[in-house]
Amino acid sequence: MREHAFAYALLAPALLLFLAFTVFPIGFGFYISLHNWRLGPREFLGLGNYLRALTPGSEFWPSLGATLTYSLLAVPFQISIALTLAYLLFQKIRGKSLFRVVMFLPWVTSTVATAAVWARLYSPDIGLINSVLRGLELRPLRWLLEDKGVFTLIANGLGVTLPDWLRGPSLAMVAVVIYTTWVFVGYNMTLFLAGLGNIPGEMYEAAKIDGANGWQLFRHITWPLLSPTTFFVVLITVIGTLKAFNHIWVMTQGDNGTQTASILIYRQFYEFQRAGYASALAFLLSAVILLVTILQNRAAAERVNY
Amino acid sequence: MIRKLIPFVAAVAVLMAACAAPAAQAPAPTEAPAPTKAPAPTEAPAPTQAPAPTEAPAPTQAPAPTAEPSTGVDAITLSKDNPTEILFWHRYSGSAQQFVEQFVEKFNAENAFGIKVTVEKIDGSYADLYSKINAAIEGGTPPNIAQAYQNQASFYRLDGNVIDLAPFITSKKYGLTQAEIDDYFAFFLESDKNPQFPGEVLGWPTSRSAAVLYVNLDWLKELGAEAPPKTLAELEELACKASDPANERYGLAWQNDISNFAALVFANGGRVLSEDAKSYVFNSEAGVEALSLLKRLFENKCAVEIPSAERNGEQTRFAAQKVLFTMSSSTGLRFYADAVAKSDKPFRFTYVMFPQKDPAKPVVDIYGASWSVFKSTPEKELASWLFLKAFTEPDNIAGWANASSYMAVRKSAAPKAIEAVKADERFKDFPEAAEAYARLYDMVAYGAVEAPVAGYDPVRKLMSEVVTAVAIKGEGDVKEALDKAVAEANAVLKENAPSGY
Repeated sequence: MREHAFAYALLAPALLLFLAFTVFPIGFGFYISLHNWRLGPREFLGLGNYLRALTPGSEFWPSLGATLTYSLLAVPFQISIALTLAYLLFQKIRGKSLFRVVMFLPWVTSTVATAAVWARLYSPDIGLINSVLRGLELRPLRWLLEDKGVFTLIANGLGVTLPDWLRGPSLAMVAVVIYTTWVFVGYNMTLFLAGLGNIPGEMYEAAKIDGANGWQLFRHITWPLLSPTTFFVVLITVIGTLKAFNHIWVMTQGDNGTQTASILIYRQFYEFQRAGYASALAFLLSAVILLVTILQNRAAAERVNY
Repeated sequence: MIRKLIPFVAAVAVLMAACAAPAAQAPAPTEAPAPTKAPAPTEAPAPTQAPAPTEAPAPTQAPAPTAEPSTGVDAITLSKDNPTEILFWHRYSGSAQQFVEQFVEKFNAENAFGIKVTVEKIDGSYADLYSKINAAIEGGTPPNIAQAYQNQASFYRLDGNVIDLAPFITSKKYGLTQAEIDDYFAFFLESDKNPQFPGEVLGWPTSRSAAVLYVNLDWLKELGAEAPPKTLAELEELACKASDPANERYGLAWQNDISNFAALVFANGGRVLSEDAKSYVFNSEAGVEALSLLKRLFENKCAVEIPSAERNGEQTRFAAQKVLFTMSSSTGLRFYADAVAKSDKPFRFTYVMFPQKDPAKPVVDIYGASWSVFKSTPEKELASWLFLKAFTEPDNIAGWANASSYMAVRKSAAPKAIEAVKADERFKDFPEAAEAYARLYDMVAYGAVEAPVAGYDPVRKLMSEVVTAVAIKGEGDVKEALDKAVAEANAVLKENAPSGY
């Protein structure tokens, strides 16, 4: 009994901090979500805010769609490019330390600053990207100002009209994804490099003696033994993309098909001063992230080799 | 996995139940006890509330304080022996910030009431300041004075967080004389009123600007025009004549700041909000004409959009002679002068009243954040008022106008402010620009306020979306889009209206 008391006493500071700064805010946030809350509770709505968000036609569904689109676009790009770069930089090449630093730099630079610079690059009139396109005698694009789907734009360029359901993500969304990839590839690459470093060299040597070629080495040694790292990188990237906010806000403020759930929550909270509704949206987004994470865990259980 | 989560969910639920009860019982910030519930001076019938609106369109015509003495306010005493400390939040920067800080230092040293003002600059935009104030209100620690646009002040007023200044203005002991009231531009004082709170003054005007048209005079001459456009038709014609998209030169730079669209609606003879503040009306014929004009300008490549991420893009492009006209705030004059002076090939420029559909009946969008006083103790509220009153003394306000580039809010201060601009070295090569500042005061007589009601910020976003979709991208029907936006805007208006309004 005395031992238990001593253990609890030692745990108490951490528990108190956890209760004060994690559990209480979550609980209070949920309490707010049950009210019409404008600078304080005005009316108890029960699950009214949740029902409002989940009603067909509410702004939550398109924002969730934009969030999932962003995630589905960004994650494969980020992971595949990061893995490729990590694999290349893991080889014995000159100047690889410099490459690693260069690739990592976007991640350590202020997101707001880099997003603002990229927004300038994407400017339809004076942006560098369109200047290059003009130099190549290609049609300049509206980038962050374009809400038309990329497939629609491509089809229009070819003189074909696509049905609306085939429009694809907006060009603004694709532009944001390109920026996101630029920022996060270096970070993911570093994680992959750490994972590659943990694969025993003997396994490669043994495989080479057995006549394995480069692709076979990657397919049968690197890929399976890198799976715990891959799983971790995918997990944090998916969660990160589902709650992404800063750079999207700086680049588009949620316009042109980029109003993700986080942007919607922010706007409902700060622009509309609907703290209750915004809190309900935040809990719904958390539930979606939790669900996606559970599904990922289940899927990974059969595929990750520890 | 689900099973593993059950204890956590249960723990959250228990904690929520534990914290929910006291939270529900706790008084909301707006229900805070004490000073506000006492027979506060602000609750006394204000003389400005007595006459019918038609009889007293402005505080300048309010009955003399002797008719209905503000005994509540007059009864409050402040003493040097018992200093009253107040906190002022603003977001000014540069010379404006410096002026405010110097004034506060002087005021603290010299005022006879023992008032000590602490001034804090809040970094960020007006939206950030608004968010911070809302958070402070929720936390029970709002400042005593803060910058606030009229719609923001109305939002604070909904739950009684800002006070009505009318009883202070008319106080025999601490208020303003009729001559002093008359010295303020009546329109500026009127603009801090909201029909939803009849007779109340929710802020004190310190900063006002007008939506104006900046013009490159040399380029205009090259086009063969004798003078800047006075009508919207002339604006359209000149903008299209100047445009040369192949060389990235356009007639009009359009930054999707919705005050520019509001200015266009006003210029067409319309309003953003109905006079009684019961509905948005920017879908009127004037609104349709305003949006149609913009649509034509973009369709014909006579206008170029300045992306919101391109900070000060309209100034930069104006200075680079990429655009002939920009719609912008009169306060930007010195920044335009600096940008043009630094350009490769400086040119003559000025700003003029925004072109009108009917120049005989002009309407100008005039805006600016006021300083609002938050509910606290009677002493702090009075101290806050005395600070506002001192800040807007004619000599101070002339210096303030010079430091901030805003218009002087008092008639007696305007000549000094105009002289200061004319004497400013940066305008040495731009005499037409300096002259424009003098003419700015002529526009006050034609001033109009966009929408001084709570919830106008998201409505601005709705309007912005319509302008982007219909005018810039050419999607949808003008009238249908405006009607839809007005329907949504009216829902926001209703959601943020005082109960029973």
